[in-house]
Amino acid sequence: MVALVIILTVVVLLLTVLVAGLLRSHADILKALHELGVGVGDPVGDPAGGSNIGPVGGPNSDHHHDHSDGQIHRRTRERRHSTKSAPNSTPVPFTMGPQLPGERNATSAPTIAGVTPSGDALAIAVSGNDQLTLVAFLSSGCATCAGFWEAFQTPEHLGLPDGIRLVVVTKGPEMEIAGEVQAKAHSHLQVVMSTDAWGDYEVPGSPFFVLVDGKAGRRIGEGVANHFSQVAELVRRAQVDTQAFSLGSRSRAFAGGLDGPERESANDQELMAAGILPGDPSLYPASLDDIFPSNIDNLPADPSRARTTPLQDPQAAQRSAG
Amino acid sequence: MATLRAHGIEARLPDAFEGRIFIRPRVANEVPFPVAHFATFALPGQVADFGGGAVTLMGPNDVFAVLFEYGPESIGTRLFARQGMPRVLSVDDFRPNLLRRGLGGQSGTQWFFTESGRPFTFYAVLGSHVRRGALVPHVNSLLSNLSVNPQPLSVVPGASAWN
Repeated sequence: MVALVIILTVVVLLLTVLVAGLLRSHADILKALHELGVGVGDPVGDPAGGSNIGPVGGPNSDHHHDHSDGQIHRRTRERRHSTKSAPNSTPVPFTMGPQLPGERNATSAPTIAGVTPSGDALAIAVSGNDQLTLVAFLSSGCATCAGFWEAFQTPEHLGLPDGIRLVVVTKGPEMEIAGEVQAKAHSHLQVVMSTDAWGDYEVPGSPFFVLVDGKAGRRIGEGVANHFSQVAELVRRAQVDTQAFSLGSRSRAFAGGLDGPERESANDQELMAAGILPGDPSLYPASLDDIFPSNIDNLPADPSRARTTPLQDPQAAQRSAG
Repeated sequence: MATLRAHGIEARLPDAFEGRIFIRPRVANEVPFPVAHFATFALPGQVADFGGGAVTLMGPNDVFAVLFEYGPESIGTRLFARQGMPRVLSVDDFRPNLLRRGLGGQSGTQWFFTESGRPFTFYAVLGSHVRRGALVPHVNSLLSNLSVNPQPLSVVPGASAWN
């Protein structure tokens, strides 16, 4: 009888150890999935998946970046709930990653320097020129990145507007296998392996896209996307916004960094050039709808309302695109 | 200040400069040696050794520069007798007729020398000869931040290094 009890006790103990081991293994797997961005039960994620386009948006979208990148994520989540996926998109339970700290510098655009997958040195100055540069922070192992690597194999089909420079940045050779990156990269694609760049741009995870206005020398958009077509469309909008701002605006208060009375005067000139004179009703909005019309397509023909076009108002443009 | 470092060449890039230090893939018996390109404009993916495909993209305020290494058979020849890289160039060193490819308005300069036991040429192009007074300091800033480490050069019999 005693022997039977002892044997049963040993069996129970063994089973306990086995169950504990399985639970530990399960926890490790869940943790790894979370780190890969495909976590289950993310409290901020949308279990239904759907499009989660980041705000690679117009030039004014950086107002949000300047204050808090947390707003980027909140806005994106809101959009995730309010938009439908593109017909050809595959829902991916990809989370946005950790909340970005509010003190994060989301406008600086330092030169990206590192090595190429073949071991050469490469530095790309994204500031100080007249073009927009789209920086794609990718990794060779992330599942979501695979679609982007594949899309980059045929650069002519990317749908990027003319004059946009595309640069892919992976982490450095100490954290990535150069051979794998080289195998994924198209020969004409500029790929820089630089862990420092990930730090400089405070990249929260991959994939992550940054759009830099070379003339202004700063980031004008950043975020994530599931498909490159989404990025290309937002880049196109940003390019139009940038051109509209630089060409259509007689005032360069924002681009020129004017402040104080000079900025006020410049803004007044810009408003008057657009036909908005002192006392114009549009200067005294009574509700948010007056500023951001809920339906751009149904804007009245009244010229005083038509002045708020999607191009001048990136937020409204994004809303209409949703 | 971004730093480029490869193949025994190091460059701390002045503001607005970008660049690459690379060795072209070997073709047949050719032995390629390191080439460094520097520019104040966006370098396209494919640029010839001395700027073909890039200099046509230059604006009047741009600078393009090449540091090109030759094979070991060049060491000790008269062309490379100068010891050390030029560090300060004057506006008079740049002339429109020194361009490898004569493009209207541009000017260039070229220097052959031996640095750290390695034979090089430095070739620079200004986007506007008229504005050389403002552009040459950028070239000098780049030169002052270039360094070459001694590196044993591989000797391949029968290979030409003049590519």
